[in-house]
Amino acid sequence: MLEALEVRHRFGDRTVLDGVDLRVEPGVLTGLLGPNGAGKTTLMRLMLGVLEPDRGRILWDGAAVTSRERQRWGYMPQERGLYPAMKVGDQVVHFGRLHGLSRADAVASARRLLDEVGLAERWDDRTDRLSGGMQQRLQLATSLVHDPEVVILDEPFAGLDPVAVAELSTTLASRVRAGRTVVLSSHQLDLVQDLCETIVMLDHGRTVLTGTVADLRASSGTRQLRLGLHAERGWLAAFPGVEVVSDDADELRLALPADVDALAVLDAARAAGPVTDFGLDLPTLSQLFLLAAGHDPHESSAA
Amino acid sequence: MSGSWWRGTTLVAGRALAEGLASRGWRAVTALMLAIGIAAIVLPRVLSGGATSYTLATVGDAPAGLVAQLSAAGEAGQFTVEYTALTDDAAVRQAVREGSADVGLVTSATAPQIYEQRAGTGSFPGVVAGAVQATTTLHALAAAGLDAAQIAAIQATPRPEQVVLGTVVDEGRAGVGFAAGLVLYLALILAGTGIATTVATEKSTRVSEVLLAVLRPTQLLVGTVLGVGLLALLQILALAVPVGLSLVLSDSSAVPAEAAPDVALAVVWFALGLCLYAFVFAALAALVDKVTEVNSAVMPANFLLVGSYLLAVIVVTSAPDGLVSVAASMFPLSAPLVMPSRWATGGVPVWQLLLSMALTAMTAVVLAKVASEVYRRGVVRTGRRVTLRELIRGDRSGSYRSDDSYRQHRSASP
Repeated sequence: MLEALEVRHRFGDRTVLDGVDLRVEPGVLTGLLGPNGAGKTTLMRLMLGVLEPDRGRILWDGAAVTSRERQRWGYMPQERGLYPAMKVGDQVVHFGRLHGLSRADAVASARRLLDEVGLAERWDDRTDRLSGGMQQRLQLATSLVHDPEVVILDEPFAGLDPVAVAELSTTLASRVRAGRTVVLSSHQLDLVQDLCETIVMLDHGRTVLTGTVADLRASSGTRQLRLGLHAERGWLAAFPGVEVVSDDADELRLALPADVDALAVLDAARAAGPVTDFGLDLPTLSQLFLLAAGHDPHESSAA
Repeated sequence: MSGSWWRGTTLVAGRALAEGLASRGWRAVTALMLAIGIAAIVLPRVLSGGATSYTLATVGDAPAGLVAQLSAAGEAGQFTVEYTALTDDAAVRQAVREGSADVGLVTSATAPQIYEQRAGTGSFPGVVAGAVQATTTLHALAAAGLDAAQIAAIQATPRPEQVVLGTVVDEGRAGVGFAAGLVLYLALILAGTGIATTVATEKSTRVSEVLLAVLRPTQLLVGTVLGVGLLALLQILALAVPVGLSLVLSDSSAVPAEAAPDVALAVVWFALGLCLYAFVFAALAALVDKVTEVNSAVMPANFLLVGSYLLAVIVVTSAPDGLVSVAASMFPLSAPLVMPSRWATGGVPVWQLLLSMALTAMTAVVLAKVASEVYRRGVVRTGRRVTLRELIRGDRSGSYRSDDSYRQHRSASP
């Protein structure tokens, strides 16, 4: 298990991380979420040893990380991270060898991975001849070439089209199933809510939310009932705890407290007029974030 | 441990070397260097003309005695003479006036006459006059009844020996010193620029972040310096090898034997200078955010290099033992460029050379440490240009990983 405990980090006078905890278990895809500037990249750099924390510890299986262990890790930085003038194949082989592979092993592994990300044909092309999406896949290949035990990805989904998002998700899911320890960061909270099993949400260097995605969404007490309804809204007076989130021409969105039965509300709506569409939505991660960030961060991080 | 240190370092160096060798820019500069090297051999020969040739117009064929005299003079003076036989005096005058002959000679009259187009057109008319005079003298001696042996004895009268009183011996050595300085200057500029560009490219593409997760900063820095330094060395060899080969093969006296140690010293200075400046360039480049900022970032180092080189060329050659020269050859940052040319003038005490080398070597070690510190901190600060002051201030908060603490993070403070 990869752990960051009570990590604090400053750049000059600016506190970037203020006592953050992160636990990443093998086989559980973990998301490090939060808006831009929340401290996600700094925390990843600390885990990778590129920076050293002012306070707190980075542990691997309960002990301080050694450089030999880190050599078995893989890192994909937020942007590029590739030599523009190098050939695609050479690039992957080079990073494989830097991570301790022999030349022959690195070549074999590079061929396998480039095949997996669909770049096998481009082995001899210069990296800067590839399109942005291809470079992102190449970057993924360079960070996975040594079959890393720990994979750390900084904003891997930024700028990807839906097809590429699905492909990357498949690749990462296969590593997680194989028991690897995978953590990724993202500021697009809703994009990763179906992919990540566990999340830690940061805001201004503090933890605002942490737990499994399913638990967080179900236990939030902010389920929403969506109704396609042509009727006066007077019937709502019977449910004092229910709040109107949005009321557009033919879509009404209601926030239901934990003690309100959604079916009872639906029945009352049908009695008031024809219901053309309905659905019960769990809150999205970004809604949870806004709720959590609006409160005192210390309250939430105590969870 | 040191084995794996070298493994990573050579991987970095090998990559930089391979990328450089494959790049068009490197090939172009190397080809240019080679062209300059070859031009430096060929051009002086073409310009000095090698075999100068003069044309001598005479009425009828030139007398055999005169031809013999002139060909002897030509061998000594490195020129050849072509002869034009014309019908009469007027034709000879015409040829000289038109320029189709350099000199005209008329011997049929009672007193021989030499025509030239303008006065003072070189030494050839004088040579011809001397040859005519010598031939006439020989005829007069024979007419006076001297036999062939006596005439030969008179001809064998030795010429006075020409003795040079200036310090010409040193010119070859000074030339070697000058050449060494120029080559070193070029090499440092090439290597420095290459290293700075590589570091800035790695930083701006965030490759350095991936690398620093696997490698130590010193591995990255030393590997880059080695790889790019080697590329610059190859370019300098492209320039120096043709020149050196031609000097050796032509058995020229341009490089005196006593200059051999100077050449060896120049190699030592090359290594010292490269160590000194390479790390400075790398550290300065680690401060930039975009590759385009490299030139302005390495400006201070370039100023130092250009300044030192100008000192070496202007001040040292005119007053090698003046205060400024001595100081500049001792100051570590200018010593690699100034000391070789000062040393080649011959009057530098050995202790000064050794002291200067020791100071330079010590400074190189200190600078390498400072530079890897700056590099390590600068390379992870992205988003905008970093100033040195920011990096030094950042030190107090202790937020950066050092090479020593690489293996173990500090534990949390209670």
